[in-house]
Amino acid sequence: MTILQETPTPLRAIGEPRLLAGLQDGRADLQRHLQTHGPLPELTRESYSELATAVGLRGRGGAAFPVALKLADLPARGIEAVVVNGSESEPVSRKDRLLLTMAPHLVLDGATGLARALKAPLVIVAVHDAAAAASVRTALLERQDGVEVQVADTPGRFVAGEARAVLSVLEGGPSVPPGRKVLPTRKGYHRRPTFLSNVDTFAQLAVLARLGSHEFSSTGLISEPGTQLLTIDGSVERPGVVETPTGTPLEALLRFAGASQGPVLVGGYHGKWLPNDSSRPETSGGAGIILALGTDTCPLGEAHRVAQWLASQSAGQCGPCVFGLAALVDDFERLLAGDPAGWHDAQRHLGLVPGRGACAHPDGSARFLVSALEVFDDDVRQHLAGGCGRPVRGVLPVPGGKW
Amino acid sequence: MKKLEIDWTRCDGHGLCGTLLPDDVWLDEWGFPVLRGREITRGELASARRAVLACPALALRLAATVNRDSKGSERTVPTSHQ
Repeated sequence: MTILQETPTPLRAIGEPRLLAGLQDGRADLQRHLQTHGPLPELTRESYSELATAVGLRGRGGAAFPVALKLADLPARGIEAVVVNGSESEPVSRKDRLLLTMAPHLVLDGATGLARALKAPLVIVAVHDAAAAASVRTALLERQDGVEVQVADTPGRFVAGEARAVLSVLEGGPSVPPGRKVLPTRKGYHRRPTFLSNVDTFAQLAVLARLGSHEFSSTGLISEPGTQLLTIDGSVERPGVVETPTGTPLEALLRFAGASQGPVLVGGYHGKWLPNDSSRPETSGGAGIILALGTDTCPLGEAHRVAQWLASQSAGQCGPCVFGLAALVDDFERLLAGDPAGWHDAQRHLGLVPGRGACAHPDGSARFLVSALEVFDDDVRQHLAGGCGRPVRGVLPVPGGKW
Repeated sequence: MKKLEIDWTRCDGHGLCGTLLPDDVWLDEWGFPVLRGREITRGELASARRAVLACPALALRLAATVNRDSKGSERTVPTSHQ
């Protein structure tokens, strides 16, 4: 597979771009950034809370936690740091490193503006991608922010992108989620209150602070207005990152990217399969990933490859995740070979994995596999009857050694 | 009210909890506990505490079912990527 090679990610927009505005000719340095967006207004903590509440802004890393609730959960004083989670460990996602590489000032505006409003002395940008880290470091040389900004490199493994795993590695610990479920807003960096969110969220905050809630809401869904960044890949003519108003119909997006017919995976490898019919929903939420499968590859074989990768990405801390995901890889292998016991074992194991780990990796992996068995019902029958006759082409990118 | 909770990063599947609390914990095919998830009643609290103390990995815990913060609202703990 060569899809994951580090070529520049193409960027496009449906409608008026906001986060990607002014990037047609490449990376925005401070001058171009200010030309496009204008200066960041200095807002108070209350203004940020009001704005986030008014537009229903949610975290854009996948969990879709409301930003206003996160802000409300922080204490009045003593906030240690604002952490920008740019580890982007979903293997297909490119939106966060695209923002850090092409529009670093927008992300830094969002993070430092909020840090000043929260009176947090420190901003940490956690990045995995080398080009993204270099872009942020270059951008920092052009800026005067009044808060300390650090750039930290994090490991690229899937589970290492989980919020608490990022905090752990920033403190010099292992890049695995801790066993106790604590909120970063209570005990984050250095066990102190911390505002942590995804790169995309901070860019949205920088746009929101400039536009105000009224203008921000001039596009997208009423419940969650504005735009969203989506990574589109798989069996499409034009892969890349697309900025669209929230609520854009999936069909429109697939046409825009030149996707071939066939099932679609929404939300990445912790996401869900959607069948090839007209009842597919609007695109919003999740980790912003859309993968078109096409029709000339074996869907169950593709799911099996991803399952192998998901199993390899377990941090190895929690028994049900380690043993359960390994067992599911074996179940899918037997199912592909036409063994009905493989299907039965998979059903049992899929019930034993969710909710039994320190992070959501087992839950997300099970969600992906459950929906594969549901949506590819016909293929399951074909395999049990001797095979579907299609090769496994590797349409779903699975990272190799360096992850 | 209290509920059993497992720190999955600590649990090594010794299985003592499954023996000590057969009504609340059963063991899966790999020997790891599956919690029935019901609340521990006052009468069962003593044996639940004994099981917590017996866990060789210190992975079994008794936790309050409803976590209230200073404002009195219910707290949910997001565990996935943010």
